[in-house]
Amino acid sequence: MLLLPITIEALIKIGLLIACLMGGTSYLVLVERWIAAWIQDRRGPCRAGIPLTKIRLWGLGQPIADGVKFIFKEEFTPAHVDKFLYFLAPVIILTAALSVFAVIPFGSVLPFDFAGVYDAVAQWAGAEPLPEYAPQPTRLVAAPGLDVGMIYVFAVGSIAVYGAILGGWSSNNKYSFFGGLRSSAQLISYELPLGLGILGVVLLSGSLRLDVIIGQQAGSGVWNVLLQPLGFLVFFVAAFAESGRLPFDLVEAEQELVAGYHTEYSGMKLMMYLVAEFLHMIAAAFLMVILFFGGWHLWGLTGSGEEVTWLEAILRIVVLLGKIMGVILFFMIARWSWPRFRFDQLMSLAWKVMLPLGLVNVVAVAAWVEYGDRLAGWVGVPETAAMAVCGWILLIACWLVVTVSIPSTYDNRPLRVPATRGGQREGAPTP
Amino acid sequence: MSDSQLTFTLATLLGAVGVWLLLPRGTARGWAAGAVLVAIALGLGASRMLRLEDWVADGVFFILAGVTVVAAVATISFRDPVLCAIWFGLSLLGTAGLFLFAGAQFLAVATVVVYAGAILVTFLFVLMLARPKGRATWNRSSWEPVVSAATGIVMVGVLSMTISDVLALRGETGRPIVEAAETAGDRAEGVLADQHVALVGAELFGRNLVAVEVAGTLLLAALVGAAVIVARPRSEAQEPPAAD
Repeated sequence: MLLLPITIEALIKIGLLIACLMGGTSYLVLVERWIAAWIQDRRGPCRAGIPLTKIRLWGLGQPIADGVKFIFKEEFTPAHVDKFLYFLAPVIILTAALSVFAVIPFGSVLPFDFAGVYDAVAQWAGAEPLPEYAPQPTRLVAAPGLDVGMIYVFAVGSIAVYGAILGGWSSNNKYSFFGGLRSSAQLISYELPLGLGILGVVLLSGSLRLDVIIGQQAGSGVWNVLLQPLGFLVFFVAAFAESGRLPFDLVEAEQELVAGYHTEYSGMKLMMYLVAEFLHMIAAAFLMVILFFGGWHLWGLTGSGEEVTWLEAILRIVVLLGKIMGVILFFMIARWSWPRFRFDQLMSLAWKVMLPLGLVNVVAVAAWVEYGDRLAGWVGVPETAAMAVCGWILLIACWLVVTVSIPSTYDNRPLRVPATRGGQREGAPTP
Repeated sequence: MSDSQLTFTLATLLGAVGVWLLLPRGTARGWAAGAVLVAIALGLGASRMLRLEDWVADGVFFILAGVTVVAAVATISFRDPVLCAIWFGLSLLGTAGLFLFAGAQFLAVATVVVYAGAILVTFLFVLMLARPKGRATWNRSSWEPVVSAATGIVMVGVLSMTISDVLALRGETGRPIVEAAETAGDRAEGVLADQHVALVGAELFGRNLVAVEVAGTLLLAALVGAAVIVARPRSEAQEPPAAD
């Protein structure tokens, strides 16, 4: 009966994941505030240290103080809200944000079999030994072997939209409502380029499982970002937009919408929203690293096979987390580096730029998978090098086409000139 | 009339009356009675189908099925369209869970992506833009409560009765003619199949290639149509405001 050890193993992984994600989120908030302070030439949080003492510890106690404050804040429920949906919305968004991590690997494998450990403990406690089984290394995924991994991420990610829409609607407040509408429009629009960006990687590796995708990159030693820079660009912009960070944070644009869909929330419910937003960012960073930056692979350090030593196993986790931290730092610095888009700019970026570029990338990768080896053999260069060269040429070509074809300035103000001469106006911009 | 047929007939009758009582008819009277009747009907139906050989697996199945059916009934019986949409979403999630339980992973996640993730969000979007405020009864009541409740429930009842009868058929050797379902082990293998998506893809783009291509072309035509409707010249689409 292997059901029990498998269940216990899954529960341990889930507990570990949730604990690390929640703790990590609270400290990432601190990091974000530090970076904001650094960019704005301030000191940032540096006072809170060990509680009830005067030891400051560079402000490392700040997340604890924030958490305590959130917990003890009054949970004010406005009288005009739709109570049921108002309570349901933050639950949905946090559940969805956490469930994404079920299929995301947070390392490679550990070189021991959990069932064996369980067996030893059970025999020590006087239970019967397990029947014969083939020992397997412990995979560092909460739900290993789900063959639809990548689509699962999509499915759960699309559930998160409900948290924003319902929160905005049930608050019964114009600002919240606009935030919810903008959120749904933005998330649905950017899901398409996101999918197209992923499709190229999936075509190349031939699987939707994230660990297989990492394994393929580690095996060949060439990360996908080198082969498909265009796909990476599309995925990167779309993931940025999906996680709703500046410059894509129209959903909660403070200057226009107070706080967007969570204007009417306070206390723990607000915290659920904020944590979910951070989790979206972390998930986007995970996906970016796993799909395009080789996951846990680093040349000459981590090895590339399934057989690992303890040192390699730990190095892989460290490398993965280090890469993810790099992406998150980029997210945080980007927040203070670009102004927010206007809504029409956001939509035209999704539909007129990113979607065609994503299609171009998918077609190019499909053509390469079909004819690439013949082309490389004909020219007489290694296949991977040829693909990288083609990928970068494609990126530069697309970049040039986009920059040349998009007008440098345009005007979205409402038309004021009355229609004359049969509906055609003088000097009207072509639609 | 056999035992099982009697049970299903009773369940169908009770269910039809219960759903009729639950449907929005301009009055909330009889709501609780309807809920009780539907619950009894569900219990009757389930009593003929219960087979708790492996209680974990069957328990999961019946929980998922219960969530799906109850959410589906709630979808048609609530008065607030937004709540109806939420219940519909829950019903879809239950359906996806059933697909996953039967080993059809791809179908499960595709259901969530397409229906819950895109179509239902569009529903909600439109509902919220329209903001149905009116309290008029004809806005908030179903159109043909008797007929719709009767047809829907009778169809569900007949289907369940037929399927359970077929499953109960025994051959000469005493073994079931139709294997009811695979064992829990088979099912786990189906859920954890290694090449699941590859097999689905091979099937779709192998045997069903023409159908896939035709559907894709149809969708493309619809897309072009939508673009044509939206992309009218600006002067035509948007009347300029009166000159001052």
